[in-house]
Amino acid sequence: MSCPRAQVVVYPGSNCDRDALWALKYVGFDTEFIDVRSKINADLVVLPGGFSYGDYLRVGAVAAREPIANEIRQFVENGGFVIGICNGFQILLEMELLSGALLQNSSGRFICKIVELEVVDNSNPFTRYFLKGERIRLPIAHGFGRYVKTEDVNVVLRYTSDVNGSDEQIAGISNFRGNIFGLMPHPERAVEKNLGSDDGLRVFLSIYNFLRGN
Amino acid sequence: MPKYQFMIDIQYKSNVRDPRGETIKRVLNEEYQIPVTLLRLGKSIRIEVEAENEEEALKMVHAACERILVNTVTETYEVRRI
Repeated sequence: MSCPRAQVVVYPGSNCDRDALWALKYVGFDTEFIDVRSKINADLVVLPGGFSYGDYLRVGAVAAREPIANEIRQFVENGGFVIGICNGFQILLEMELLSGALLQNSSGRFICKIVELEVVDNSNPFTRYFLKGERIRLPIAHGFGRYVKTEDVNVVLRYTSDVNGSDEQIAGISNFRGNIFGLMPHPERAVEKNLGSDDGLRVFLSIYNFLRGN
Repeated sequence: MPKYQFMIDIQYKSNVRDPRGETIKRVLNEEYQIPVTLLRLGKSIRIEVEAENEEEALKMVHAACERILVNTVTETYEVRRI
């Protein structure tokens, strides 16, 4: 079969778009950058980290209301896969494709370090190469990562300690259908041992091989 | 068409933690010995719209709040004419 195709949405202010593209290429995806006025033509859409539109109003608020948002809504309704990383996760919440909110870390500080996480759900197409309950290490870099839960969600990743004040130490969630995954940690920054961890690689391998039908 | 100005006051809901407000309150308590018992940091937006009348203008401002300016999951807001 043909190679799975991934598109990375580059918002004004995105800064993890190249890392995401590199990680996707690394596992074999056919990749492309798109912008807020592009059409989606992919198996996977990645909303990267960064500070879209400066995050001036609220994190992800303006990006969630650009024309690409309607494209993404249509895409996921048709079963397309979307991963939102960091600012991308914040955008998914502002779009109300996932529930809850991400507010300022309880310490009031920007936190940039590698943290330990527990894989709570490995039945998801993005996490099927992990063991259930496995402890993994991924970098975080956010000021607004405190997840506030407003309704029942499917928890995929949890911090193993209280990193930022998130409800139930939630670090990543998916919708119940399993095609929308949002997380604050950066798997795309952890795809080689010399980056401090290569645990993020399996996120991309999981979805790549899922899309290939393996 | 006449112009109408409003102030929108946006605050976190009372059950939502506000680390910035907590930090400022702590400084006022500890560094300045001012017995502040509550400090919540919200934001205010000054906005002007063109409309037929004040009622229409107010409707537009509420629409702006509901559509983008306020995240009603975590925030509440009030609008007043200035």
